Amino acid sequence: MKDRPAALRDTAIAAIALIVVLAIPLLHRSPAFEDFIIRLSAMALFATSLNLLVGNTGMVSFGHGMFYGFSAYAFALTMQMTDLSLPVAAVLAIAITTFASLCVGAICVRLSTDYFAFITLAVQMLFYSVIISWQSLTGGDQGLRGGIPRREIFGFELSSQLHLYQFCAVVAVLGLLALRHISQSPFGQTLRMIRDNETRASFVGVVLWRARLWAFTIAGAFAGLGGVLAALFVSGAYPELADWPNSGQAIFAVMLGGINSFLGPVVGAAILLALNDVVNRFTEYYGLVLGIVILAFALGLRRGVLDFLRLAWPKGVK
Amino acid sequence: MSGTITRRNVLAGGAAGLLAAPWVAKAQANTLRIGMQSILSGPIALLGTSSRNSLMMEQDRINAAGGFLGRQIEFVFRDSKGQPQEAARVARELVNSTGCELLVDAEASSASFAVQEVVRDLGVACIHTNSETSSLTADPKIRVATAFRVARQGVHDAVAGSIYLADYANAKKLDKWATCSPDYAYGRDTTAQYLQFFKKFKPDVEIITEAWPKLGQPDFTEVITKLIQAKPQALFTLLYAGDLSAFVNQGNVYALFSQMTVATPNVDYPVLAAIKNLPAGIQSATRYLETFPDTPANKEWGQAYLKKWNERPTNWSWQNSLAMHFYEAAIKKANTLDGKALAAALTGMKINTPFGADGTITMRDDHTTIGYAIGWGQTTPKEPFIIDVKPADWGKIIELETEWKKQQNYI
Amino acid sequence: MDLNALGACLATPACVVTQTTSGLIVGMLLFLVAAGLTLIFGVLKVVNFAHGTFYMLGGYVAYSTLGVTDSYALAVLSGALAMALFGVLFERLLISRVYGSNVLMQLLICYAVVLIFDDVVKIVWGPEFHAMGMPPAFQVPPLFIAGGVVPPFYAALIGIAALIAIVLGLGLSLTRLGKTVRAAAINPQMVSALGVNTTLLFAIVFAVGGALAGLAGALAAPVRSLSPGMGFSILIESFIVTVIGGMGSIAGALVSALVIGLVRGFGTIGFPQFTDGLIYIVMIVILLLRPQGLFGRAS
Repeated sequence: MKDRPAALRDTAIAAIALIVVLAIPLLHRSPAFEDFIIRLSAMALFATSLNLLVGNTGMVSFGHGMFYGFSAYAFALTMQMTDLSLPVAAVLAIAITTFASLCVGAICVRLSTDYFAFITLAVQMLFYSVIISWQSLTGGDQGLRGGIPRREIFGFELSSQLHLYQFCAVVAVLGLLALRHISQSPFGQTLRMIRDNETRASFVGVVLWRARLWAFTIAGAFAGLGGVLAALFVSGAYPELADWPNSGQAIFAVMLGGINSFLGPVVGAAILLALNDVVNRFTEYYGLVLGIVILAFALGLRRGVLDFLRLAWPKGVK
Repeated sequence: MSGTITRRNVLAGGAAGLLAAPWVAKAQANTLRIGMQSILSGPIALLGTSSRNSLMMEQDRINAAGGFLGRQIEFVFRDSKGQPQEAARVARELVNSTGCELLVDAEASSASFAVQEVVRDLGVACIHTNSETSSLTADPKIRVATAFRVARQGVHDAVAGSIYLADYANAKKLDKWATCSPDYAYGRDTTAQYLQFFKKFKPDVEIITEAWPKLGQPDFTEVITKLIQAKPQALFTLLYAGDLSAFVNQGNVYALFSQMTVATPNVDYPVLAAIKNLPAGIQSATRYLETFPDTPANKEWGQAYLKKWNERPTNWSWQNSLAMHFYEAAIKKANTLDGKALAAALTGMKINTPFGADGTITMRDDHTTIGYAIGWGQTTPKEPFIIDVKPADWGKIIELETEWKKQQNYI
Repeated sequence: MDLNALGACLATPACVVTQTTSGLIVGMLLFLVAAGLTLIFGVLKVVNFAHGTFYMLGGYVAYSTLGVTDSYALAVLSGALAMALFGVLFERLLISRVYGSNVLMQLLICYAVVLIFDDVVKIVWGPEFHAMGMPPAFQVPPLFIAGGVVPPFYAALIGIAALIAIVLGLGLSLTRLGKTVRAAAINPQMVSALGVNTTLLFAIVFAVGGALAGLAGALAAPVRSLSPGMGFSILIESFIVTVIGGMGSIAGALVSALVIGLVRGFGTIGFPQFTDGLIYIVMIVILLLRPQGLFGRAS
């Protein structure tokens, strides 16, 4: 198998993308564009991690947002309540989130597809209602107020939008590269085998529940990474990050961009965020426009953008 | 796999081009854009729509008088649906993408804290017009240099309301009370404040039960029956807009209002009009009343609003008008739109306005206003809807507010 | 948590009657909505995430009809019929294209419809809330049964919903159409091979499901506020009901709707701030112990 060249190629693409993104502010400063990239970084990680479950393993989780939100709260609380530096707080938040997704996964992965979807949704809703009720810790429906203390990390001053932009871009690209590596690894191939034919997979010796649990945990961890970026953007943490419409957003990003393409969720997230930005400026009926766009995709293209393009111009084997 | 690279590059390039378009900074037009965000849909949409109505009236008036610094003003309205995450995004978008130079934050309390953090980062001038939670300005950790509040404050209302209600309760011998407030920050904090002061003025009051429905929940039946079981003599509720309407309608089914006196600070005109079978005799604060303060200026403003929008102003309406009065005065004084300079001008500023108890309202050092008209009276199904209005004692309000702030370690 | 209050209530007949009635009314309205949802899933294997929109539109149509005709009966009827029609259109134009597809495709389409109609309602009826008002016939004081409070309006609603439950149950088990529907739920290909017009059948199922939700919306409209986006919370609740009761089971929907109604009714006394959390925990436990729901068929 040509692993080495493929991995190098992925790294090269990532490097080029990163250089392009970092170069743009040097040519032209646009706070709106920078906001967009910052939000996209968080959402791209969130949606791509979800696709590890949905597209790669065939596990439809309706509750993925709970890890995104959990991490945002863990990170923001750590920053507000302790003097730990940003990288330490971030790593801590992600570690706690990974542990949480391991626990939730242990309960959920044994259920078959439909019920797995429902139970992840139920756990998320329970988690959300805990956030809302536990006001002394989380601030309830208002979220964490007072902002995240702006501390320095590796020379980045996160109160500067430019530095936040650069930080998010670097983290997002590295995170996506890591997910790509996992997806292309033998483990990733095992997941896809489970998605396609789980009976055959288990005959070949794969322990289904263990592979699924690994996938769920890893997906939770990367969602947590996205959550940290989201917390930095809003300088706090709000319950909506962990609410199920947010999980829905990730699902739509995956569907709109392409469930069978690695960069599909990123493209889908970009489409959703761009629509959100642009449409709101022209009309207050954002829902109407978004609904029509989604119908166009679902009924017209019938698949996500990258999947559609790949089918339209098939070149080589994936 | 060169094909993949080509496709990806094309996609990336095309996408970048498409996406870049809206964000390339627009050339500075002469119009002065002012961003306003609020809840414009859902059961509490009245909050946002009545705010917007007022601001459009102010836009016309100010532009007719020459605008700000010779520039015509233009409001940009956004619906955040009351969600803090979306409110933060909207605030940044208004300033960063749409080029707004001033902000009028008409969010309800939960989202206003999110906007506060954005204002802290961006340093733009912002006036919060609808958030009543005291900590937004009272808590020094949350206060921001360029953000101010012109909305009535929870703690002021609590003091004024509890003085009135304690008198009323003593007169009518209503010792057993229940509370029913929406389970979110405003509902919790403000109810706690009311109860704290109520107990101070009427120590023998007994709160026999508390109900905490969720904001916007469609069915209050189980809450209503719980209240009826408890048999209080009076009920204090902070429900408002669509929730209050549903509560009244559902309460009527259980004849709730014949079993207990109801007190609420939140009965706005349009709500009174929308509730089909409104019981009389609800003890209510004057949210906006044309007859209180009973001055020609106030009546004129109320009439103008009614004429333009065919509905009566709400509490949120006058608060947003007041924000523009303050901006007007501050910009004239500072002669700039810079956040810091406007903040310096606004701090301690006293202006003439129809909404002041004595014709004036002052913006204090802690960035919140005092001296606005607060009164309590009782409802009646016909004009002027609230009668027997007793104005509040501002001396007492400030005295107790200071005590409360010390208690919370804000000062 | 206030277990003392809960205990005190359970010991008093008046309290039990009142809270049970309130639990029943919440439960019965929930049942009407959930029955439609579970029927659609049982037969078409489609999770109708747009079901809340049917509820909302039913309420708004009733509101407008009342404004025009001044008749509550017509208002309620129009709400149900309009949603039957809407259900057919929805199924024929949109859902039929994604039969057999990934559940996510169905979710996408349903969600798009929710978004679109939340805004359509905003455009047609305005963003602010509306109140329909109680029918004059029911503007009477509540009844007192064993000291507990029972409003006549709610008693009537409970009666209507119970009647519908019976008609639905009998209809499905005794009539030919009902039997065909149940057969199609188990094996659609066989039913089609036997010459039944499954296209028509599926349209009928969506019509009935939609009508039930619309009816619930219209019946509840006199006491609840109408506003865009009101279908959202109803959707979640009816979704929980169908999962707990068993997707595809009307009896399951009835039982779990009543259970949830009662949990709310008494939970609001014992656990005033965590009633929602309680319901989610029940849902999780059921999914772990008996994933197909209380009355569902194990797949």
